[in-house]
Order: sequence, then structure tokens, then C-alpha cells
Amino acid sequence: MARTGVKRSNWIGRVLLVDLLAGLRLTLGYMVSKTVTHHYPDYEKWVPYQRHRGHHFIKTNDEGEVNCVACELCSQICPCDCITVIPFENEKGDRRPKVFDINLARCLYCGLCEDACPADAIKLGQEYEVATHHRGTLVVHLEDLVKAPGKAGNGGVVRPAKLDRNSGLRSVTQTGPKDAGLDWWSRIRRER
Amino acid sequence: MENVLSLVPVLIKMAIVVGVLLLLPLPLTWLERKIAAHIQQRPGPMRVGWHGLLQPLADAIKLLTKEDHIPAEADRMLFSIAPVVALVPPFLVFVAIPIGDPIQMFGTEIALSISDLNVGLLFILAVSGIGVFGTILAGWASNSKYAVLGSLRSIAQMISYEIPMGFSVIGVVMLAGSMQLSQIVSSQQGLWNVVVQPIGFFVFFVSGLAEAQRIPFDLPEAEGDLGAGYHTEYSGIRFSLFMLAEYLVVVVLAFLNVLLFFGGWLGGPAFLPATFWLLLKVGFFIWVFMWLRFTFPRYRYDQLMTIGWKLLLPLSLLNILVSGYVML
Repeated sequence: MARTGVKRSNWIGRVLLVDLLAGLRLTLGYMVSKTVTHHYPDYEKWVPYQRHRGHHFIKTNDEGEVNCVACELCSQICPCDCITVIPFENEKGDRRPKVFDINLARCLYCGLCEDACPADAIKLGQEYEVATHHRGTLVVHLEDLVKAPGKAGNGGVVRPAKLDRNSGLRSVTQTGPKDAGLDWWSRIRRER
Repeated sequence: MENVLSLVPVLIKMAIVVGVLLLLPLPLTWLERKIAAHIQQRPGPMRVGWHGLLQPLADAIKLLTKEDHIPAEADRMLFSIAPVVALVPPFLVFVAIPIGDPIQMFGTEIALSISDLNVGLLFILAVSGIGVFGTILAGWASNSKYAVLGSLRSIAQMISYEIPMGFSVIGVVMLAGSMQLSQIVSSQQGLWNVVVQPIGFFVFFVSGLAEAQRIPFDLPEAEGDLGAGYHTEYSGIRFSLFMLAEYLVVVVLAFLNVLLFFGGWLGGPAFLPATFWLLLKVGFFIWVFMWLRFTFPRYRYDQLMTIGWKLLLPLSLLNILVSGYVML
């Protein structure tokens, strides 16, 4: 109603409180309509779009080795100096990172490391729950980065999830019958 | 011995009423938050207990354990008695509110009210008028500009709304020929007063909203322009006493609306106990009050006065005139 222009009632309407009743009808409609809130972190979790820049991850090749060649381009381009790479030479004679630390507390998730990487190794994934009680745990190491979840395949949906109270209070999406996830935008009530 | 024994049912009834009234605000805060939430398309409290049902308990514990702060320049005595002054009237009002016809129990007839006064309605209006003193004292004793403004507003509001409220029930009293609430209810056998007295009901409902200081007439505690109005400086248990009083006034008004205009415990389906039917109606009115609260914006100060003096007062006088003419 508000968008289509306000209709003022005549004096009969005002005496019979038509405007007030219209308002009451609107709020009653909302009262019985479905809620649009995500039930996060208890039952639902938003899976971000593929373009989302979250917690980093490092890709591995078919043999399980990290793609990273420890060229340090990412740590050079990083505007907040949060990536530490120390290279070493492995048994096969390849240049690989010995240390690959990212300080998530300093990172601004700009994605420049992803752009700079020549070896298709470092990426920014879908994980966005990085809250913690200790600053030290925000420095993630190579093994964490390899294990971190990748980019969301079919993102932009709400998935059933469960709060995991054991390992650091994360909401974990459940794979189940509703695997495709729910299009959250369909919950929004629009006026024609 | 006879006299002492006759006191027992009264004492039991008093204990029940006080107990229920003290606990009633807990589900009501939950209900209010849920209604607010669903109007705004969110689920409201969900995490403490099933659908947040234990949330009021958690809030109560939090409020009771908070620091009970009294401002340095405040009038300490008035400051500490003001919440009690606000809380006593809604409790007192329930003395005269009946919740059903007398029932037979243990061989004696037990009235379902503490005392069915023959001037019950007058008693209720008079006692609930005292409630505003809590607001006034709280605002004055806090020695804070917002609190004083809040209580000034509540005085002006009370003067402009007590009068139409009193006048609007005169039509009902004329129809029933009594001020006893049980008689007013039984006079509505067959036809509820709201059908006969729609104007009276409208005036009573609106001035009741103003009396309970609820949106759209919540000027004394307008969060937007006065902080929290008269209880700005209150915290902890004293604040919770004000909240208690506020919710109880809403319950009282719901009861009065039902008893005076919606036939009290009459007219229910046969399988429902009369008292349950009454409580159902009361619950409906409480829900309506909350629904209104989250629908309407607050009236301006001058609009409030205009509605009180220029609309409700003439309407209530007209109502008396018309019902008097019809009855003669």
C-alpha cells in the first residue's frame, strides 16, 4: 500500500476507522505468514554463493600434494601482510611450502592472493565461521588450509544444519534429503 | 471458631490470586515478544526452552540479580516506594473481579471472586486510578528530566482519559441497574453489551488503552522520545515491579472489557467450563492489545489530548444520552 501511494479515506472512512483497520489487517497478515529468519545456527545455515570470499583453502593435485609452489607471490601482494610462506625442496626436488601460515585476524578477505597465485593453489572458500576464544587459533597452518572447505558448489541457499557444540561451536550443514537447499528468497512476502 | 473457618476460603482465594498474578507476566512477556516477532516476520525467542518458553524465566533471573541502582540526587524514599505504589492497584482490583458463577464445593457455596462488591465497578475504576501515582512518584523521585516529562505526560493523559472511561461504563451500569460485576454479567444473558453499546465499548476500549499506557497512547514511557519515560532511572528488581504492574493493568483491562461488554463467562459453548470461556475471551483481548501495540505508531501529545477531550468525552456523553433516552 505504501508503495502504490497513500489513499486517503473520506470522512465516512475516517469515522469508521478504515485506515486503522487496514493497518491492522496488514499486520495480522504478517502475523500468520511464515518467518523469513534463518534458524541459524540451530537448524539452518546459509551456504554462500560461489563468489563468496571466506576462509582460505589450498588445492591439492591428484597425488594429494599441494598445488602450491611456494613462490610467495600471495604473501607479496597481500595488503595486510598476513601470509607467511617458507619454501623448501622435497624428495622429488619440487619447491613446496614448508610453512604456510595465514593470520585470519589480519586478513581482509580481498582475494588478491587468489588472483596472484600462478599454481591454482590458494583460494578463498565458503567457510565464514572463524570466531574463536583465542587469537592464536586464528593463525591457520598448511594442514588446516588443505582441509578447509572449498568453494560452494550450489551456493545461495539455506541448508538444514546442526550446531556442533563439541568442536568449537560451529554450525554444520547436514547432507540429507533436502540436499539442494532452500531458496531463501522464496520466503519473502512481496506485495503485488 | 465459626468466623475463623469462614476466613479460610478467602485466604486460599487470595493466595491463588496473588500467586497467579505474580507469575502471569512471565508468559505475557513471552507472548508479547512472540507477537512482535511474528508481525515482523521473525520467530522471536527460540533458544531457551521449547520455542523460547523459558526465556521469561531467564530474563527474570537476570533482572533480579542486576544492580539495584538509585541515582545520587534522587529522593530515596519516594524512589523506593514508587514501584510498590504502581504495583498495588492492579492487585487490589482483582479483589472485585469475578471469574464465574458461584460453585458448590465441600458442601458450601464458594463465590469465584474474593469479594463481589456491590459497587465493584466503582471500586475498580477508583483503585486503578491510584496506579498513576506510582508513575508520578517515580518520575518525580528520579530527579531526571526524562522521568519528570514522562510523569507529567501521564498526569495529563490520566485526566483526559479517566473521565470518558468513567462515563463510558455508565451506559452499562444503566442497563444492568447495578455496579456489581456479577450482576452486570448476568444482565447480558442473551445479548452482549457490545451489541447494545457499541459506542460505549469503543470509548472504553480506547481510553482503556490510554489508561494502560500502551501504544498508541504510551506517551509516559515513549522509548523514542523519553528514553524510557518515568522508569528511565530504574533498574533491577524495581524495574521489574513496574513491568509487572504494566502487564497486570493490561490483564485488568482485558477482564473489564470482557465482563462489561462481552458477556463475561456467558455465551460459551456447552462443553467449555464458564470460567475457561471467560479466560479465553480475556486472552483474546490481551492478544488484541499486543497486536495494536505492534501496528500503530504513537500519537503526539496534542493529538492525545484532542482525542480525549474532543472525541471520546462527547462520544461517551452521547452514549449516556442515547441509552437514557432508549431506556425511558
